[in-house]
Amino acid sequence: MGSHTAFKIVKVFIILFAISLVKMKTNSLIFLTSGLAIVIFISFLIAYLWYLKFTFFLNKDKQEFIVNKGIFNRDQVIIQLDKIQQVNINQTILQKIIGVYGLKIDTAGSNGAEANILAIDESSAYNLKEHLLNKSTDFALDIKENDEANITTENRSIVQISTWTLFKVGLTSNYGRSLGLLILFLSSLIHEGQQIIKAFQIDGIHYVSLMSGMSTIFSVTILVVTLLLLSLIFNLVRVFYKYFELKITQHKHSLLISYGLFAKKNTLVNPEKVQITKHTQNFFQKKIGLLNMSLRQAHFGKSKDEHEMQGNTLEIVGCNANERDELLKMILGKIPAKGKIFIPNWRFLNLPIFFNLVIPVVVFLIVGFNVAEIKPYLPLAGIYFLTGVLMIYISYKRHRITVNEEFIIKKSGIWDISHEIIMPNKIQAITTFQYPWHKGVDVGHLCLHTAAGKIRFKYGNYTEIKHLVNYWIYQVESGNKGWM
Amino acid sequence: MSLFENDTIDISTIPRYEEIELNKPHQDYLKIIFINFSISFIVFGALIGLGITFIDELKPNVVLILSIYLVFMGLLILLFVASFKKRGYAIRSKDVIYKSGIIAESTTIVPLNRIQHIELNEGIFSRIFKLGSLQVFTAGGDSGHLKIKGIPIDEAKSIRDLLLNTLNLAKNSTIIEE
Repeated sequence: MGSHTAFKIVKVFIILFAISLVKMKTNSLIFLTSGLAIVIFISFLIAYLWYLKFTFFLNKDKQEFIVNKGIFNRDQVIIQLDKIQQVNINQTILQKIIGVYGLKIDTAGSNGAEANILAIDESSAYNLKEHLLNKSTDFALDIKENDEANITTENRSIVQISTWTLFKVGLTSNYGRSLGLLILFLSSLIHEGQQIIKAFQIDGIHYVSLMSGMSTIFSVTILVVTLLLLSLIFNLVRVFYKYFELKITQHKHSLLISYGLFAKKNTLVNPEKVQITKHTQNFFQKKIGLLNMSLRQAHFGKSKDEHEMQGNTLEIVGCNANERDELLKMILGKIPAKGKIFIPNWRFLNLPIFFNLVIPVVVFLIVGFNVAEIKPYLPLAGIYFLTGVLMIYISYKRHRITVNEEFIIKKSGIWDISHEIIMPNKIQAITTFQYPWHKGVDVGHLCLHTAAGKIRFKYGNYTEIKHLVNYWIYQVESGNKGWM
Repeated sequence: MSLFENDTIDISTIPRYEEIELNKPHQDYLKIIFINFSISFIVFGALIGLGITFIDELKPNVVLILSIYLVFMGLLILLFVASFKKRGYAIRSKDVIYKSGIIAESTTIVPLNRIQHIELNEGIFSRIFKLGSLQVFTAGGDSGHLKIKGIPIDEAKSIRDLLLNTLNLAKNSTIIEE
């Protein structure tokens, strides 16, 4: 791939420096320009040297991918092919202009990408991708006898999301945000209404204050409506930008997911390395037959940082039921069959109702009866309590796990109902716990630790949970199936 | 897939984790808890003493502050002892079990073939009493880790060797399979 790429890296720098030059105010300062020239020259030199020393190659015998880099300090990154979780071929706008691709190789080992090749021409990128794929092909050939079906379905397209579907996704997903805005809007409306009533009571029909009240209502309405519209448009644009032409194709033993409007992303995933498969659907999406899927892979390091987890989560928006089934078949080997359903005890309701509803309402009422200004708002407590009870009840009704021999499916959610599917062999550890006051009623909790996060089941029948745990532990320990 | 197809196994014969006799941490570990506790008791007590002597506003409330401190610390040590009494561990041929918890009793099971690495720690006081704490790490993140404190060091070492052995065995067998 040689010097070809070098000039492309140089080109990247030219653009960067052109931008910085334009932004600088060069008030006839020769020093500045000459200084800049030196800086530019040195950066060029460093970039060029860095480029010269940056090499990567694929060792086919050892099944390793090796990257050498660094000008003064030489770093070598060695990645075993079967440890690779995903390969990303991305193209940012800048890379698109100069016609190169960026290639990232990600294993579970560290937080970021292990190997990041900034500029690689298209043929090399796809060539490399093919080689990384080929490793799987060799593997497939070894077990050809019982895998013929897979080979015949080579490069089959599984999911293709049209622009229209994306439009629908943009309208229906992230509803929580829009809903929040709506509540804000309503509360401000109520507030304004109260103001007007007060104005009426105090001044009789005072024309001016009414007018001002009307105008504030009007302006607030306009503001909120525009905010809502803006968030919707923003959401749409984001979905379009990110998932434009989302396409999933099946390559023997891996999935190729490509998406993006300007910044094109191609991600290559090994289905066996997917830890948790999740699909989510809300009420509107159910009506129009859409759902969002996410594939979660192993991540090490701090799990608390949500941002980091995103890196190893692949989102597939706007699938329909058939496409979901295809994907599930690809990732899990088959569509999870019906299994035994475990539902939580009604005690599930106690704590959330107590902490989220009873305590705030009691505090509000105590304050309300003592502070005159809050008194008119007291009925709000009732509304809050009722909606809260409804939501907690819904979440209780949705909270369940389905277990059969091969899969564990956890269903949860209030508005967005999600199903998380794992296979018992992905379990890393199991924790069960029980509060002493639940001993008598035989209620306990379960937490399955996987490399991609936890799956919890709360307030289940403890005897059943113990039974399940024994069964899963048996499955993990007797089977020699690895977790990735 | 074929692994799970021969499902003639009787589920009732699967070993039950909840019926296993758990080993208790060594009684000497309680002494370590007491030592650690008294150190922090003295340090915080000294801090409070300094606060009382140098901040005039606190002086009228000396009795109150001290009694609150004592009650708090008393409750704390009771909790420590209670949590110590609840701890238990067991090593089975295929997994490690650890039970703990002050109020809620939680039991964590880590299958041996999911262990990533093992750590054996010895603190200063632990060394005096010839104890050690064993940590078992999985890929399941922070919550999937096990930390068993207060195992006699000889036992801890032999457990460590046992676990390492099984780890090596598991690795070798997968290499052979490949």
